[in-house]
Amino acid sequence: MSTVTGIGTEPLEPAVPRAARAAGRILPVFRLQFVNRWGTFVIPWLIMAFIFVVNFAVWVIVIANLSSPEARADAQSGLQFSGASFYIFVYLAVFASQAIAFTFPFALGYSTTRRDYYLGTALAFLAMAALYAVALTVLSMLETATGGWGVGGQMFSAVYFGGPDAPWWVRLFIFFSSFVFFLFAGSTVAAVYMRWRNNGMLIFFAAAALLVLGLVALVTFTNSWPLVGEWFVANGAAGVAVWLFAPTVLSALAGYLVLSRATPKN
Amino acid sequence: MSAVVEVQNLSKHFKNVKAVDDVTFSVEENTIYGLLGRNGAGKTTVMQLLTGQDFASSGDIRVFGESPVENARVLQNISFIKESQKYPDEFQPKHVFRSAPWFFPNWDSAFAERLIDDFRLPLNRRIKKLSRGQLSAIGVIVGLASRAPLTFFDEPYLGLDAVARQIFYDRLLEDYGEHPRTVILSTHLIDEVSNLLEHVLVIDEGRIIIDEEAEALRGSATTVVGTRAAVDAFTAPREVLHSEYLGGLASVTVGRLSPGERVEAAEAGLELSPVSLQQLVVRRTNVSQKEFEQSA
Repeated sequence: MSTVTGIGTEPLEPAVPRAARAAGRILPVFRLQFVNRWGTFVIPWLIMAFIFVVNFAVWVIVIANLSSPEARADAQSGLQFSGASFYIFVYLAVFASQAIAFTFPFALGYSTTRRDYYLGTALAFLAMAALYAVALTVLSMLETATGGWGVGGQMFSAVYFGGPDAPWWVRLFIFFSSFVFFLFAGSTVAAVYMRWRNNGMLIFFAAAALLVLGLVALVTFTNSWPLVGEWFVANGAAGVAVWLFAPTVLSALAGYLVLSRATPKN
Repeated sequence: MSAVVEVQNLSKHFKNVKAVDDVTFSVEENTIYGLLGRNGAGKTTVMQLLTGQDFASSGDIRVFGESPVENARVLQNISFIKESQKYPDEFQPKHVFRSAPWFFPNWDSAFAERLIDDFRLPLNRRIKKLSRGQLSAIGVIVGLASRAPLTFFDEPYLGLDAVARQIFYDRLLEDYGEHPRTVILSTHLIDEVSNLLEHVLVIDEGRIIIDEEAEALRGSATTVVGTRAAVDAFTAPREVLHSEYLGGLASVTVGRLSPGERVEAAEAGLELSPVSLQQLVVRRTNVSQKEFEQSA
């Protein structure tokens, strides 16, 4: 691209050289998150495929051993609460925290500002959430269309994702909102680690445990568990997915603030 | 000549340690600097401060006239692969070289490929499985091929064999000749790089104790060898940097000698020999260590 020697015209203060006029490094950081596609796409979907195969086998075995139609219907209705696809959300949370832990010191070694790093990484996470949400939506529509893969199984259209009657765009929205939440939750934990290391982790998880304990105590002592249940029922899966953006946005902002003063240590 | 880096009264304190202690220096454009000093002297901290990777406790840093902290315009002209640089665990060297051009506008992939051959670096092996030398080679290749106007090498030779080190020195000089830039090289192997360096900064206990042209520094000390009585008589009025006695013989290092003094020494039957950069640094850092202990 540009060479850096300025023969002849030499300013008193060397101005920032020409290369500096190139755009920031948001896009390079975005691409950096996908340079190795093994961990971002291949491994999680291999594991997902394995989980699906195991579940499918269980469905077939269960159906084969239940002779009466009532018993079969009962077993199949239990599947609407299947948590078989939870794994993929947890995977992305872990993936996000690892991505930060590994690429933050690396990108800073590539002379990237923390701001460009965070924006590029956040964009990469949004793109990943979108791709994953599309993939799960396609799977869940297939699941509905094939009557549960021919055996009445349920894995991608469980009640948490809107159930088998939800339209595709509601499913897409719920998947997207959930993926974004898990990605940013994972990245915020990693940001705390990058900034304060082990002590930060101890304090962070202690504080999180106390917070959860406090909330449980509050709800219990005010006898509000029915209210909490009603709130979830009233909002439905889609409504909860909308509300989920609140902790996601908070977490993303906190992650940025924490990381903006972090230093890559040895 | 103009200053690419200007540092004034820079300090960086960690809990109980003054890693960098009230340091002032500047770095001229298109010059190769040696940043020398013992382990823990503050070399890496200084480089991390100059590249905005760490935050100063006090003082002022100007790189290309601006503060480097969170300054993309400045950082885009800097390449700093430190000795302890972390790479993503799942990465292979090919991922590093695939992504490097996105970050360094002057990246030369043909040059990078040539260096990969030179260092015999395996491209398809996971970073975790590389040897220390191969890891260092990645840093050296990125540092050279990025052709950043301000390039830092932080102990780049760690684990590299003698052949690979020589390749590094040769390629650095070659490429520096064709594409002048400012290079700051921190190293322990002072004698190996002493011919490379144009300017020397020696840091000890967080303070800069030598900031001189390498050429001037090379003649700045002389070792006087001869009989004990003759050597002592000659060196008595001078500042002695180092002395060794063996029986009736003495070997004493003093500062710069004028031509007249050299004649005087020869007439007294003394032998004069130049002091290498490495010996000089060793002597000077030892002196400051003693002074430090006395004042403590």
